[in-house]
Amino acid sequence: MKKKDKFVSSKRSQEEMIGFALIIIIVAVILLVFLGISLRQPQKETVESYEVDSFIQAFLQYTSDCKDNIEYLPIQKLVFRCIDNEECADGRDACDVLNSTLTEIGKESWKIEEGRPLKGFDLEIISEKKTIISIKEGNITKNSRGSSQDFFKAGNSVEITFKAYY
Amino acid sequence: MRNKKSLKRAQLKIQQMVFMLLAITLFFALAGMFVLVFKFSELKDSASALEEKNALLLVTKLANSPEFSCGKAFGNTKLNCIDADKVMMLKENIERYSGFWDVQNIEIRKIYPKTSKNTECTIANYPNCNFIRIFPREIASEYSNFVSLCRKGSFEGEVYDKCEMARLMVSYNGK
Repeated sequence: MKKKDKFVSSKRSQEEMIGFALIIIIVAVILLVFLGISLRQPQKETVESYEVDSFIQAFLQYTSDCKDNIEYLPIQKLVFRCIDNEECADGRDACDVLNSTLTEIGKESWKIEEGRPLKGFDLEIISEKKTIISIKEGNITKNSRGSSQDFFKAGNSVEITFKAYY
Repeated sequence: MRNKKSLKRAQLKIQQMVFMLLAITLFFALAGMFVLVFKFSELKDSASALEEKNALLLVTKLANSPEFSCGKAFGNTKLNCIDADKVMMLKENIERYSGFWDVQNIEIRKIYPKTSKNTECTIANYPNCNFIRIFPREIASEYSNFVSLCRKGSFEGEVYDKCEMARLMVSYNGK
């Protein structure tokens, strides 16, 4: 009789254990379903790259102090003058003017200071897989906002890439 | 004696069950709260992102509107290009535009070349100034975007196009 009691008690505890395990499994499945649903939702970009796009658009139109025989050149024309290894009317190298102008524009537009969210920026102008200009300021972090723009002139393709690091 | 023992065991079982039920309820309540907090923070994030997006779209829309844009005055049609001469005339006649844009104020501030003085542009000092404020009031909680601020310059009797880097800032009431 005592043996039978012991058997019943052990069976009951086994049942309880199975019940407990079942609850854990059900809870785990529910959690997994929740996790799956939340991960399946498309990740929305909280910060758009309008600013970076506009920055590239705006600096390409900037009138530099490099003059050819006709006019003061906007940055877009200065890039092609730099690619063709030409000089400004006053004898300065077009690439030097481009580099210094873009560095100054970058520094004034994207201020890297203590207490500001911006940590650094990176501007590259690439033509036919050759880097024409590479300007790096501040630190490169994992969070960035970037944009790139391509344009062509007389068979030359130019890619401008700008990244702002936060 | 046996009944008492059985009663005690039953009480113990009930206690066990109560604890179990309490634990499960607490667990689900906590999990629910966690999910709610997570969802609400997501909602707040998307609301502020949407507001920022709206404001930025408004800034871009303003920059490319006929009242501000360069049009074909500086060669081809350009994006995010503001005609400073046109904006100065707009500033002079701004009373005709009251309520035209759903904004509190609009300001265009030169970034580069850098100027040492912080001078508001008026008909008297233009173009030797560094910001154009459209409505005659302070700008607060602004949204901004990069633009090129172009005007016709002259050097030794020759007229040329002069484009500078600027920021178009909009004080937006969020409606």
